[in-house]
Amino acid sequence: MSVQRRQRFGAFAALFSVPFLWALVFMIVPYLVMISVSFWTRQFPLFVPDFQFGNFVQIFSDPQYTTVILRTLKIAALVTLGALALGYPLAYFLVFTVRSEGLRNLLYMSVIVPLWVSYLLRAYTWKIILGTDGAVNSLLRMVGLIDEPLTVFLYNQTSMVITLVYIFVPFMVMPLFAVLSNIPKALIEASEDLGVGPFMTFWKVVFPLSLGGVVAGATMTFCLSFGDFVAPVLVGGPDGTMVANLLQSQFGAALNWPLGSALATLVLVLVLAVLQVSSRMDRAGRVGLG
Amino acid sequence: MTKRLRVTTLARLGTCALALLAMLPQAAPASAGELNILTWEGYATPDFIPKFEESSGCKVTASYVGSNDDFAAKLAAGGGVYDIITPSLDTVPMMRLGGFVEPINISKVEGFDGIYSEFSKHVDVTAEGKTWAVPLVWGSISLIYRPDKFATKPDSIAVLFDPANKGKISMWDDKSALYWTARYLGYDNIYDLTDEQLDAVKAKLIEQKPLIRKYWASAGELTELMANQEVYVSNAWNGLTSKDVNALKKGFEVVEFTPKEKAEGWMDSMMLVKGTPNEDCAYKFMSFMESPDGQCGLAKSTGYFPANPVAVASCMDEEMKKERQVGNIDFVKSLVMWQQPKRLDKYLEVWNAVKVAP
Amino acid sequence: MISRPIVALSGVAKSYSSFIALDTTDLSLGEGEFVTLLGPSGCGKTTTLRLIGGFELADRGRIEIAGEDVTAKPPYRRPVNTVFQEYALFPHMTVAENIGYGLSVKANNVPAAERRRRVTEALAMVGLEEMGMRRTAELSGGQRQRVAMARAIVRRPRVLLLDEPLSALDVKLREGMQMELKRLHRELGITFLMVTHDQQEALALSDRIVVMNRGRIVQIGSPAELYDAPTTPYVADFIGTSNLVPVRSVGSDGQFDHLLMADGTRLRRRRRPGDRVFPNGQSVLAGIRPERLLTSDGGEVNRLAGRIVEALFQGDRVRIEIALAGGYERRSIFANVTRTASTASGAIEPGTEISLQVDPFDIMLFAAEDGQ
Repeated sequence: MSVQRRQRFGAFAALFSVPFLWALVFMIVPYLVMISVSFWTRQFPLFVPDFQFGNFVQIFSDPQYTTVILRTLKIAALVTLGALALGYPLAYFLVFTVRSEGLRNLLYMSVIVPLWVSYLLRAYTWKIILGTDGAVNSLLRMVGLIDEPLTVFLYNQTSMVITLVYIFVPFMVMPLFAVLSNIPKALIEASEDLGVGPFMTFWKVVFPLSLGGVVAGATMTFCLSFGDFVAPVLVGGPDGTMVANLLQSQFGAALNWPLGSALATLVLVLVLAVLQVSSRMDRAGRVGLG
Repeated sequence: MTKRLRVTTLARLGTCALALLAMLPQAAPASAGELNILTWEGYATPDFIPKFEESSGCKVTASYVGSNDDFAAKLAAGGGVYDIITPSLDTVPMMRLGGFVEPINISKVEGFDGIYSEFSKHVDVTAEGKTWAVPLVWGSISLIYRPDKFATKPDSIAVLFDPANKGKISMWDDKSALYWTARYLGYDNIYDLTDEQLDAVKAKLIEQKPLIRKYWASAGELTELMANQEVYVSNAWNGLTSKDVNALKKGFEVVEFTPKEKAEGWMDSMMLVKGTPNEDCAYKFMSFMESPDGQCGLAKSTGYFPANPVAVASCMDEEMKKERQVGNIDFVKSLVMWQQPKRLDKYLEVWNAVKVAP
Repeated sequence: MISRPIVALSGVAKSYSSFIALDTTDLSLGEGEFVTLLGPSGCGKTTTLRLIGGFELADRGRIEIAGEDVTAKPPYRRPVNTVFQEYALFPHMTVAENIGYGLSVKANNVPAAERRRRVTEALAMVGLEEMGMRRTAELSGGQRQRVAMARAIVRRPRVLLLDEPLSALDVKLREGMQMELKRLHRELGITFLMVTHDQQEALALSDRIVVMNRGRIVQIGSPAELYDAPTTPYVADFIGTSNLVPVRSVGSDGQFDHLLMADGTRLRRRRRPGDRVFPNGQSVLAGIRPERLLTSDGGEVNRLAGRIVEALFQGDRVRIEIALAGGYERRSIFANVTRTASTASGAIEPGTEISLQVDPFDIMLFAAEDGQ
């Protein structure tokens, strides 16, 4: 190693050692600990170090775990779709319809600002809106659509999806807004100039060019809702348990850290798989703009 | 040479990281003269704790749990942070079996003799020929309901399983749901159910799920469910929820009632965390809590019943004594007292399976 | 002027809040013409093009294309196509997909085989036969330009709009592409309307040039007309360059205008049919192009005397800055003199006195109030 290279390595090490150490101590080591605990054995009242696959066998053989994992995947997928259905038109409207830049930035901030408000508070608000004595029921009763309050709005999977969509929609809007803002307006004009109407222009030009944002937003929304445990507790009903709640109970009530670790490892693998797929989709869909 | 150097560097780095990690939970270790208590909210309030701090010279720092399951989870995380914990009776054996606590030297706890013997001599308190817990406070769990929503007054646990009340029922999100269901099904060995019985209980609970609006996780949540008219009937900690809901004056009342299958009884007691460096302060604290100042202070701040009738003799008037069941040993006997299920893991597994069922 | 215009703007105006982008304007383009909109940025040339393309809607007036009123029609219902300034190629499509795009969408309904044929044809026309499967990102600037051209002509528009089509190219490439544009125009036989700020480009390519300034058309004419007979000092200086010298009109005799310079020099200007007659004594501007100033052969007619301030060697010519004598202290004029002549007349160096001559045919005359 030449002196120069050694010096460069020294500078490199000095610059990156802090974040690297941070990642090592707070991310990599804990993951390794978690994975190794997943091979331990529960032995009443606690658990003992071991190396066996019983926890994973239990997760895959006991239908209760697969039920919850499938339910969580379903809810996360619904939230992602909902956030896309709500976030895409919103981002599109902000970028292409709102002409004044000041107004656009104001509206964009109003979408993002709720992120500064506590997540718990925002989820709790939906309880007030959707409840039996809540805003939706009051409104429906006021306009005379119903006589008795409806209970279908709260404490079920629908209310969980609604709440999670609301909470995570900024994570969908942000990348979409960025990607749509980067599409040159001239491309839309070029498409219309070539005899293509606004609708087909959207499908053939705008949408394909915004796929990167769709993938990024969907990945974030999906992963965030997949790991959520607050919505089931606050607005979920008896059928609302998700993977994170299961994890919580394994580390808490059941005091079965090995099983909990095995579940967490599985969640980690699932999330990594989602990220892998999304980065592939992103790479396949990526095109140079400009 | 270079390669080996790098490997050892990495290894050293890893060791450092591990050492650092091991140090983290000990960021606030228990130290002499400073008593760390892991307990329930309301159990260490400024109403009565300063008196102890003045007389003993020990400073009290309290942390709170949301459920009995938190005790083991927090102690299992290690670090020697706590000196005293106050789990409920059904969790006491678990603390002992988990090796989290030390036996109590009752000669160091002044006023121990005044405690109801139903508690102080309870089989789970006195396991292995030693005393493991110092009873502190007790109470009952029965049902509450909205009289304006029922034509006739319910008298049985069956009200929780009646399809007529669909969508208006709540239940405590706790393994005790199994006890309630077992008692509804007529089993009397509720802490030692057979596999068939557990299957029947599980089936019943799953059958009940569509009737449930929401399982409540805290007294505050149940209060909210009742106050917002989401549910009309639930099991509940006596003395707390009904008082809180009625205090909101929502234009309706909720009423507690004891079902013919009996109410459940619970009792919280103090346990000494293994290896505490503050044993002196801990015993002083237990003695204080069994004194008139401690027992009356706690009873007043929580609304629950004192475990030491001798201690409260001088600090409660007759009316309050009656309300707090002081000396009413028949009431204690009328309750189904909590115990740790023989097969705790199995019970937790069943309860988890019920909760995740579609 | 044009019997059956392919594009006709009548009374068209467009403003953005308080800024008048295009003042009330009439303009007609003939079938097969190559017309250029020329002017500095903000003059309204791009607005005019975008109004015809349909990317902006006029506040007032009427736009007709091929006899059809398109004033309120969106771009996709107008028989025109556009070559955009930065080409606006679709980055997620290949070259062939870009070109075939306007044919592939259902509404346009061109059968697949026909579509392929036309794309191939368009590729051949711009010399990119082998490039169909390339991604647009892999192309050079000139190739992108050709793809943009091919894409715009494949739908056989009645009018091709070109928005500064060569401005993104470097000088060498630009000259080649000018030839290419000229050839395409000839082969296609359709009307080209091009926006540019480059007068050289406009002069080289156009049948007619529309000179614009501050949202108005200043003058329309063939390159030669604009060069030889600008109607305003602005055009005189924008098309080529002109020395504008304040003089006084001292009469007209039908054949010549007589002008008096501040230093007493008399100038004679040959009149053309239709020229305005200025009253005696009025201040006017005499316009003389630098290339029409010749080193004096000794004659007394139209002789301007001055001192050389600066001389720039330009190969075949020398560009001289001259301070005129008497009364023009703060004003210099420029002359481009050929080197053979300059060599003959002796050294051209700063400080040297020089006298120049201009042919009476080569003096332009403008009213002073036309301003610059």
